[in-house]
Amino acid sequence: MSPGEGLSMTGSILAVAVGCAAASLWLLLPRGEGGVRERMARRFGTLLGCVSLALFIATGHRLGGVGEEAVFLVVALVAVISGAATIVTRSPVYSAIWFALALAGVAGVLLVLGAQFLGVATIVVYAGAILVMFLFVLMLAQPSGMAPYDRVSNEPLLSAVAGAVLLGLLTLFIGRLSAGPADCCAVPSKATALGSEGAQDSAVADAPSADPLAANHVARLGGELFGRHLLAVEAAGVLLLVALIGSIAIVSRTPPEERVELARRADA
Amino acid sequence: MTPSPLVLDGLMVGGMLFALGLVGILARRNLIVMFLSAELMLQGVSVSLVSWSRHHGDWGGHVLVIFVLTVAACEAAVALVFVLQAFARSGRLDSAAWQSLRESNLSRTVDHELPAVDAVAPVFPRLTPAGVAPHVAEDANLEREHV
Repeated sequence: MSPGEGLSMTGSILAVAVGCAAASLWLLLPRGEGGVRERMARRFGTLLGCVSLALFIATGHRLGGVGEEAVFLVVALVAVISGAATIVTRSPVYSAIWFALALAGVAGVLLVLGAQFLGVATIVVYAGAILVMFLFVLMLAQPSGMAPYDRVSNEPLLSAVAGAVLLGLLTLFIGRLSAGPADCCAVPSKATALGSEGAQDSAVADAPSADPLAANHVARLGGELFGRHLLAVEAAGVLLLVALIGSIAIVSRTPPEERVELARRADA
Repeated sequence: MTPSPLVLDGLMVGGMLFALGLVGILARRNLIVMFLSAELMLQGVSVSLVSWSRHHGDWGGHVLVIFVLTVAACEAAVALVFVLQAFARSGRLDSAAWQSLRESNLSRTVDHELPAVDAVAPVFPRLTPAGVAPHVAEDANLEREHV
């Protein structure tokens, strides 16, 4: 089999996988039918989703070691399956909890990719702070029982098709990247351009130790952040302050003039 | 230079998460679930940025993801306040409650009568009883039927 034939084979498998993923999401999204029909649709959708994931795994790239590959496979599966469950679960509380699991998977993927600080920061900031805020709002605002708008979707078919088109284009682009030195990414990688740090050749480029950012990771990330990007850090600080003040201003019901008046009366 | 297999797989996972988030934000009607879908898209972008950062041996992607985290925190704070205000006004977390804001050439979202929820009783975990059972009235319902 020539390389071109193998590529088209992989391409058609990936096309089937994307199609299965779209069909599975269409079947799994809330349909508002209830009863046996909806249950059958969900079972069939789960089956199609498994088929799609298996096809994606079959066409995936072989990583360096068996251990690394197994770890990446597990965390990536956790991230993608929980992400899918986040958007198809009827109850928003379960949605938020699935999202927490997806965050754990994403943190694992980031760790495997060598972003130690970001993996931990994702858990701390997202799962620890933002998600708890979501759950508080749900506690305040969610009516008891299953709301009707949680049991139906807006145009599930068109949404699934839109997602499939996006995923298909991304898959096409990534497949082209892997096909060889394409014209689109002719920029030489810094890892090979820098002699001292990136002394590795392509044979060992897949090993985890080949990550040029691994040594002294957090210290160098901090140096980069507070060196080249100091102004951006200051701007982000101002943004946080503005968001804080803005959200307090929006949420308080009484207009500020009345509050000043109330305070003045309390003083008098 | 061809990206390493790990980078390619990372890009693939990032793309999948982004596509899932897109489907969620288009299809779901609960404001909070829509917002969770947007966060899922941000996660996909983060994974892709870190993959490219590894490919290029450059800190740019990592730094950008830190700013994504910051902006996502701000966005969550402000957007949840908006959601709370919307709930206070309409009594629902439904995006279709605000459909009077739609473009004039779009048709109305009409809710049809939904069939009753499946009468499958939820199974809650039981803890081993310990201590003295408090007095509870016979007809008191301590559990919500749905979460």
